[in-house]
Amino acid sequence: MKRFAALLLAALVVASAPLASQAQGTKKSLALVTNAAADFWTIARRGVEKANKEHPEYAMEVIVTGQATAAEQRRELDNLLTRGIAGVAISAIDPKNSTEILNKVAGKAVLFTTDSDAPQSNRVAYIGTDNVAAGRQAGEQIKKALPNGGKVMLFVGTMDADNARERVQGIKEALNGSNITILDIRTDGVDFAKAKANVQDALARGGVDCLVGLYSYNTPQIYSAVKEAGKAGQVKIVGFDEDPQTLRGVADGTILSTVVQQPFEFGYQSMIDMIKYMNGDKSFIPANKLIIIPTRVIDKSNVAAFQQSMKELLKK
Amino acid sequence: MLELVKIGRRYPGVVALDGVDFALAPGEVVGLIGENGAGKSTLMKILGGIIPPSEGTIRLDGVAHAALDVTQATRAGIAFVHQELEVFDNLDVAANVFIGREPCGFGPLRLVRTRELERRVQPLLERLGADFGPRTPVAELSIAQRQMVEIAKALSIDARVIIMDEPTSSLTLAETDRLLRIIAELKASGVAVIYISHRLAEVKQCADRVVCLRDGRVAGELARAAIDHAAMIRLMIGRDLRSLYIPPRVPPHAEGCVIRNLVPAAMPEAEVSLTIRKGEIMGLAGLVGAGRTSLARALFGVDPPRGGTIALHGTPVHIRSPREAIAHGLYLVPEDRKREGLVLDLPLTQNVTLPNLRAFARRLLVDPHAEAACFARERARLGIRAADGSVPAVTLSGGNQQKVVLAKWLSMQPRMIIFDEPTRGIDVGAKEEIYRLMRDLADAGVTILMISSDMEEVLGVSDRIAVMHAGRITGVLERPDFSELNVLRLAIGAAAEVA
Amino acid sequence: MAKKELGLLGLLLAVGAITGVLNPRFLSAVNLLDMANLIGLFGIFSIGEGIVIITGGIDLSVGSMFAFLGVIFIDLLTNHSVPWPAAILLTVGAGIVLGVLQGVLVTRAKLQPFVVTLCGLLIYRGAARYYTEDATMGFGYGDDYDWVGWLASGRSWGIPHSFILLVVVALAMWVVLHRSVFGRYLFAIGKNEEAARFAGIRTNAVVAGAYVISGGLAGLATVLLVFYTNSVSPSSFGNFYELYAIAAAVLGGCSLRGGEGSILGIVLGTALLQVLQNLVNILGIPSSLNFAVMGTVILVGALADRVLQQRRARAVAHAGTPELRAGTAQVGETR
Repeated sequence: MKRFAALLLAALVVASAPLASQAQGTKKSLALVTNAAADFWTIARRGVEKANKEHPEYAMEVIVTGQATAAEQRRELDNLLTRGIAGVAISAIDPKNSTEILNKVAGKAVLFTTDSDAPQSNRVAYIGTDNVAAGRQAGEQIKKALPNGGKVMLFVGTMDADNARERVQGIKEALNGSNITILDIRTDGVDFAKAKANVQDALARGGVDCLVGLYSYNTPQIYSAVKEAGKAGQVKIVGFDEDPQTLRGVADGTILSTVVQQPFEFGYQSMIDMIKYMNGDKSFIPANKLIIIPTRVIDKSNVAAFQQSMKELLKK
Repeated sequence: MLELVKIGRRYPGVVALDGVDFALAPGEVVGLIGENGAGKSTLMKILGGIIPPSEGTIRLDGVAHAALDVTQATRAGIAFVHQELEVFDNLDVAANVFIGREPCGFGPLRLVRTRELERRVQPLLERLGADFGPRTPVAELSIAQRQMVEIAKALSIDARVIIMDEPTSSLTLAETDRLLRIIAELKASGVAVIYISHRLAEVKQCADRVVCLRDGRVAGELARAAIDHAAMIRLMIGRDLRSLYIPPRVPPHAEGCVIRNLVPAAMPEAEVSLTIRKGEIMGLAGLVGAGRTSLARALFGVDPPRGGTIALHGTPVHIRSPREAIAHGLYLVPEDRKREGLVLDLPLTQNVTLPNLRAFARRLLVDPHAEAACFARERARLGIRAADGSVPAVTLSGGNQQKVVLAKWLSMQPRMIIFDEPTRGIDVGAKEEIYRLMRDLADAGVTILMISSDMEEVLGVSDRIAVMHAGRITGVLERPDFSELNVLRLAIGAAAEVA
Repeated sequence: MAKKELGLLGLLLAVGAITGVLNPRFLSAVNLLDMANLIGLFGIFSIGEGIVIITGGIDLSVGSMFAFLGVIFIDLLTNHSVPWPAAILLTVGAGIVLGVLQGVLVTRAKLQPFVVTLCGLLIYRGAARYYTEDATMGFGYGDDYDWVGWLASGRSWGIPHSFILLVVVALAMWVVLHRSVFGRYLFAIGKNEEAARFAGIRTNAVVAGAYVISGGLAGLATVLLVFYTNSVSPSSFGNFYELYAIAAAVLGGCSLRGGEGSILGIVLGTALLQVLQNLVNILGIPSSLNFAVMGTVILVGALADRVLQQRRARAVAHAGTPELRAGTAQVGETR
């Protein structure tokens, strides 16, 4: 029932949007368009809220693309343009085929991309993670886990996604020259049960010293498979992202560390930078137009604080 | 024109044909008779090039062949009108007639030239006196009309020999008459016809010569003058057939089933009133479409009746489903044995116990020993010829399958049994056994309604005959008034001549 | 044991032996028990699928049911603080309700099972995604569910509970399918629904019953799957699992035309599928070839079965009893 009411409300909001923008008068509006509904974006929303507190002269909103389709994003962008939006930060779902609509937005407003870039479009800049760098960070953690060298196995949903390829590339770069070898990369097609079975099979097959989960769900599946096999501590784990189970594993020492993105900063920075750009300050944009928010390593030393901050950010 | 010399066909372990000689002249109608399994269909398949003979020669227009293939047979003008009609009921008449030989145009696109197709089909239909056009969807045609489509198909390849396998098994009397007229016309235009049928009256009516097969050999031939019933039966079974009629030992007495103003759902314009006595065999005759099967389905609850009352052995019953009919002891031996009567792939035992399975179960778990005992009992009683109860029903002959259907019901307590075309496709020997069983049941006080389109059977087996026309009972004949003419008059809605 | 099941067992043992030779760790207790666990998870709902297939129907909705029932189950436990036994009962009950719905649509509304369950596949998936706003549902930071988690995905004497549960379900369903009146009706209806109705069987109730069993077993499997992965991503949880179930049932001798199949066969079919997936990992065959390996072995198995069947048919023709011989000749003739 609550969900239905929310839906009704959303419909009303959309219908009354043109009126609202007129009523707001001189207030310029900025929007963050997500690529899906997820905890990740809830945290980014907190960043937007922080920016709005600092700049109350702007109206800021987060538009959640619930169906996670490019078509829905296109509709949202059209709506924003009719309302005379001043700035848009978007996580493009299908960048290659969305150039036209993105350029239309760029022609009428300030366009940033965040989280997922659209390099072919006329966006001002991209604010987000450098997945290759994140991979390198993970690679360093692997070296820390295996100071005397060893064999690593990587687990990921699919290898056809850019972020997966880039993370693997970064790991390979970091491990280059060390005596650590990547035994194999197992994919599961985003089937959680298969992801876990892959880990179990790897443990049964043996000869592996460190397991690495590349997607947010891979690390928790590694964690539970290793624990169930009674191999906690014998096999090292390095992960990505901040799934609650992953953080639990870091806290109890089963997982050495996890590399996390900073969605809060995505939300905050994209708003602040759009305002800067509108005020004529372009000095913060690097030549390659990529503003990289560095990934962080969460390990036993800072996991408690991180868990606490996550809980607070996700409080509704 | 066509001659088969010393044809043999062996299957592993079985000799289907053994030294059969068979010749055919242009414009000749040959009746091919014999019990099921005598080798008629095998012989015809060899003729059509569907299977090769193991030995012998086929002489076609003076040229000897060891075997024909389908193309050769078709080119020689040999065409089939099948027992189970092989028409595509999702296509129209013209498409069916020229299926696989469509006149094509537009080069490599091979699009069908519809006009041309119709232009060529129309005269064929006219020649057969068909009352439908080339564009009529086959789904809208009756079985008799579909058969005409098959005959048109045969004519379209300039057939010189048309093989008809049980062509009248699903036809009404009037339709049968029309088919026989068509055969006469084909004959007049020089087409030879091989007429395979169990209906000896029809064979007698149309054949110039009768060839009888028995156990894969030619049992004998009859010239036109020598064709008569008794002679044909003697050839088929190798002995004389006793009269079909077995008089009741216990004279029918109390009212068995009283039907008042029953309106079958499948035929809402019908309204049936009929009283059947306990212990009698009531024949139900009529043309196809008169509503006989609709009545049977209404009584058995397959299509629950829209109105009217049924009383069984004195008590009114309300039947909304076969399940309820069975609970009242009212059973149906359906016309379509393979679809409605049996689960062909299940073992015989399981078929027999299916309607009464709970009786063979303890706490809902089936007891295979009780089932086996039941099957053994019924097998002995009915003389089912099968190695044991575990073979699937599909392996049995038609007559034995029908006995298995009966065994289903006899293992329970029948009060009334409806037989819908009980001996269709069953050979003479087994027919006799089925009639004997029906009489035994009647003598035991079971009420029997026997629907039949086989005039010989209706007149021979029934104690009384009710005749239906357009959804109503037009008359009930007592034995002294039994005659083909009376049944026919009532069947077309006229009055019978009562002695 | 029927010939079909013996053949499948043979294939299973052959594949196992070859894999064992290539990598002896395949036969290690750890690996065998891991496989037993997965066989348990997949076997339970494959049995439900098989029973529907025996009626001549199909259930395409099980994979989406896992997502839908999975989010309900986690929601009940974490957000509504429902005690776990009640949550499990509610989840299985919800599966049964979905089965009743599908059964009624198939039997009363006379819609084709493919259509009904295809719509189920789409609707349940959509409902699950909408309900969770596409967010992955898990047990969060709490560890209050470790005990029921152990019950559902733990091991006793080394044997995974899911496998023990499969054995129990398989035995129960074996009795139902191969010994009970209901089971006999399922086979009869699968082969010839019309004749079954003419024999006084309430065919609608029996067919609907098959969908109810499938729904209920899907509910049960949901609980196990949720505790296996510890979280449910509504857009991907259980995706394509109906195909694993159909493949297992068909491998195990269920005919898609209905009326054929056995519980033992379905379980063996599930085992073969899981062994194939396992050997891809154990032998270090690239993950990308996972489905290709599965498809190849199933195809080879189906071809071998066909060849054996034809050979058997020829053997029967050579050595059949006299009545059978006459009988088969008859069948050939009337066709």
